[in-house]
Order: sequence, then C-alpha cells, then structure tokens
Amino acid sequence: MIKPVFRVIIPNNNRFPKLIPPSFSEEKDTSKCRPDQHQHCASHGSHQLASRFCVRSDSLMIFDVTRAGRCCYRPWKVFSSPIIVVDSVSHWRAFSTMTNVQVDCASKLPTIASDGDSQMQQSVQLNEEQTRSSLSVKSTPDIEQKYVHRVYDAIAPHFSSTRFAKWPKVATFLNSLPSGSLVLDAGCGNGKYLGLNPDCFFVGCDISAPLISICAGRGQEVMVADAVNLPYRTGFGDAAISIAVLHHLSTESRRKKAIDELVRVVRKGGLVLITVWAVEQEDRSLLTKWTPLPHMYVEEWIGPSSPHVRSPSTFLLESIPETENSCGDCLKDFVELSKERLTDTHLTSQREDGSVGSRDGNNIKNQQEYFVPWHLPYHRAEVSGASACALANGLAKKDDKKGAVVYNRYYHVFIEGELERLVSGIDNAVIVDQFFDKSNWCIILEKT
Amino acid sequence: MRLLTDYMLSSNIKGVTNGFPLRLEVEKSVEKEVDFNADFLKNMFPKIEWKALVDAFRSMGYTELPNEAESPMLDSKEFLKKFHHALLQLHLEEGALICPETGRRFPVSKGIPNMLLHEDEVFDEVYQIESQF
Repeated sequence: MIKPVFRVIIPNNNRFPKLIPPSFSEEKDTSKCRPDQHQHCASHGSHQLASRFCVRSDSLMIFDVTRAGRCCYRPWKVFSSPIIVVDSVSHWRAFSTMTNVQVDCASKLPTIASDGDSQMQQSVQLNEEQTRSSLSVKSTPDIEQKYVHRVYDAIAPHFSSTRFAKWPKVATFLNSLPSGSLVLDAGCGNGKYLGLNPDCFFVGCDISAPLISICAGRGQEVMVADAVNLPYRTGFGDAAISIAVLHHLSTESRRKKAIDELVRVVRKGGLVLITVWAVEQEDRSLLTKWTPLPHMYVEEWIGPSSPHVRSPSTFLLESIPETENSCGDCLKDFVELSKERLTDTHLTSQREDGSVGSRDGNNIKNQQEYFVPWHLPYHRAEVSGASACALANGLAKKDDKKGAVVYNRYYHVFIEGELERLVSGIDNAVIVDQFFDKSNWCIILEKT
Repeated sequence: MRLLTDYMLSSNIKGVTNGFPLRLEVEKSVEKEVDFNADFLKNMFPKIEWKALVDAFRSMGYTELPNEAESPMLDSKEFLKKFHHALLQLHLEEGALICPETGRRFPVSKGIPNMLLHEDEVFDEVYQIESQF
C-alpha cells in the first residue's frame, strides 16, 4: 500500500512556501544526482515510498519534521486543509523573516492550484501509526552555526590545548588497521588522532577553519569541509573515524547523513568508527552543569518578540495557497495554530523503540538536547574578535568568579541503541562492534 | 595540500555529475618531506587513474614520472621513490582546486583547501525517516 507523504516545502530563497502533493514524491530528477549516489534516487517501489529522492534545491527548502519525532499528517478540524507538523526551528526563523513574497513559477515541481485544498484532501491518506518526513539535510541549521561552529572557532586554541589524551579505544582501532591504510577523520578537531598510526596516511577535515589551521601547523594533511557533505570520492578511503562529532548535529536526518557519508567514502570492506556522547553519563553530576534544551532552545530561536512557543517539536504549518498576499496572514495563522496546538500537546521525544514519551524539563532520562558550557579563560580570550563579538551578541557570558567567557555548545547526546537504530537503515554496512566506553556510545561498521 | 588529497577530492556542488578530478591552479608550491611507506604506495596505486594523476604532477611542475604506469613498476624502488615524491611530497600552498564541470574555485590557502559549499550550491537531498507518534 502506498503511503503518501505530504510535506511542506519552503523555497530557500525566501520565496513563497508551497505544498507538494504526494504524487511529486514519485518523480525524480536523476540528472541532479551524483552518479555515486544514484542508488539513492531509485524509483519508488510499488508498495512503499523509497527512502530518499532528489529534489532541486534552487526552489526548495524542506522543513524538518522529525525534530522530536512528533510527526503527523492529520486533518485539522479548524481548517479544511491537512496540517503538517514541522518543527525545524532554524527554518522557522527563515520563514518568520519573509517579507517580500514572490510566487515561484520557475520550478518544475507541480504547484497547488488555488483550490488545492480539495486536491490535498483527496490525496492525503493518513497513516496514524507511521509516517515519513522529509528533511533538508545539508544546509547548516542556525543552532549549529551559533552553538557549534562559532563556538569552536572562538575557543579553538584553548580547546586544542586541552585535547591531547588519546582515547585507548580509538588508538586500538587505528593501530589495528593494515599498514598503508588511508584513514579519513571527519570532524578531526585539533587533529589529535591524525598520524596516530605511523604506518597509515591520515587526511582530516573539520568545519572549523581555526582548528584546521592548528592541524596544518603540525604538518597534518587537512582541509575545511562539512561532515554532512564530505568532499571525498566514493570508496577511496580504507577507514574513516568520527570521534565526538555527530552529537553536534541537530537533526536526526543530518546525523544519519553524516553516517552515510562515512560509509560512502570508504572502500568495500573498509571500517568506520563512530563515537558520540551518551545520555548515560558515568559522572551524573555533569548533567547538572548542562542546560537541557527545550525552553532555551525555543526562546533563543523564536526570539523575544515572537509569541512564546513551548515546544520545538510541535510547530505546525498550514497548507498555504499560492497567493502573493497571504504570507503575512500565514505567518499569523502559523503562530496562532501553534499556540492552539500547544495547549493540548506535551513536549514529546522519540525513544529508540519508536514510542513517544513525554519530556519535561525535569525528566532527565529522556532529555537529549543540551547546551554544554565551555569556559574560556579571560587570558585566553582575545581582547577584540570572536569573544568580544559573542559577548555583545549574547552568545557568550562572562563569569567573573571563574574568570572566563562561557560559551554554550549544542549537543544531542545519544541514548542507548540510538546509534544502532541510525545505522540500521544503511544497506551497505554492517555493525561489527558496538560498545559503551567512558560515557560514549561507540560503533564500528564495515562497508559491504 | 598533497596531490594525493587533490586526487581523492570531488566537487559535490549540486547538479554536478562528475566532480573529479579537480584541476589544480598553482600559485605557490613547496616540497615537504614525508616518511616513505611502500605499503601505502602499493595500496594507493590500484585506486588511482594514472593519467589523471600525471596531469596533476605536470601542473605542479613534476615531470619525472611516465605517462603510463603498470603495477609491475611498483617493484622498482626508483619508481616508488618518484611516485612517493610526487604523491606525498609536493604541496600546493597557494592556489585553487577547480571543479571540472562548473569551474568553481575551491581556494587553497597555506596548504589548506576550503571545500565548504555556499548555501546555493548545496544539493538538498530529501531524507525521509520513519517516525512514529
């Protein structure tokens, strides 16, 4: 049985959002696929929608609808059109700044006629048990820009000076590789592991240019690149590592994409080691120093002037007819709808078994989103530059008692089984080992 | 940036079907010594399309290697040394890597390539993940 997917598409150039009816999902634009990703653009099976397909990005932006697993395509009684639950805070910000509305007629995508409501109702069938959601993966969400990238850029030298101890499990993995292996370190940070095995050749990349400069200063072969979109050819490496990186990616789709990239860039038979911070921290007192996210996350991203929305997981977007003037109204409706929706919705989180539990600020067990502080001592923070800017923007605070500028780093810490679940959908890799070590969940994959 | 790295990179700008090899634009190159590892060279050799690599060598001004190479040549220490030198010891310090399809320049500065894409170059794959509620 075909399960139609109904998704909200918002153009990434501030043009007007439009809904794409399910029939589109069966089209593909394979000319836009990279040849080594062509398999991902396979046509849909007759019994289910394929797991991935390609769209043109010059007129699209996709809302992240699985922020906390609360996705539904459910008719909303107040309006006659189906409502899509979205919860991408970063894209919400883009949406809220739309002022000039232009109708995008250039896209090849089918657009909804002004009486599209009836079309939508006919074509959407809801599956109350399960649904699929479409996610933009490669554009960096705001929360990562501000609370990962800029933070590491600002703290790079200090951070690097604290990163010297080699984690035994990683060292064991690297030292077990055959002599002459090419090892790719995605998210290499200060390059701690580059060159650890002298018989292997390491290439590292990180999104932080200051950290990469530190690596280059040590003679390492490195580049500035995005772990979600590795610039390597397919199948070239013998092994890949991702040490304490994925927990900085703010959506499940991006985390999954990063894993896919690690598998893609190694050869058949190549190994991938991934480690991420665990919810189940051995030192429980650490959690008290972290800021659990829902409230802060939302306030930060919605902004003080916007209506207070309680949960990033239950944003709703009404289907929007394609008229020029309704953007402002839509925005208002969006907000009103969110408020209404939220009065009877709890914060939710998705557990790895797929069940949904409620999550409030006090329920640490299910809490996975955090800001983790980094204290940059005053004598390490430059007089002008990143830290001064961060303080001015409110992205960092001064702690005079500790004599440090305090930055917050965004983390999605992993719960037991989550890594395994993320890799379970990858058809060309198998798990060869998984373990918990020093408050990290770790997994080793082999590409098949 | 070493030539090996150049060889393994690909332009992943949206719409590009064949993003490698990236052409070299050389403003400044240097030589840096690297420990010789025959295992590594023999491991890399089969992964490499020799012609493409030769083009890269030539653009860096290195002409010691033949236009064609077969695996028996790996038995020759002299060949291996030259291969080692070209692959690992020639560095592009300043310049750019050029996407073969779009001509887009990925700058290389102080030996570090910047492979980050701009927002409008990002290929927005749509990922569908099952979720339950």
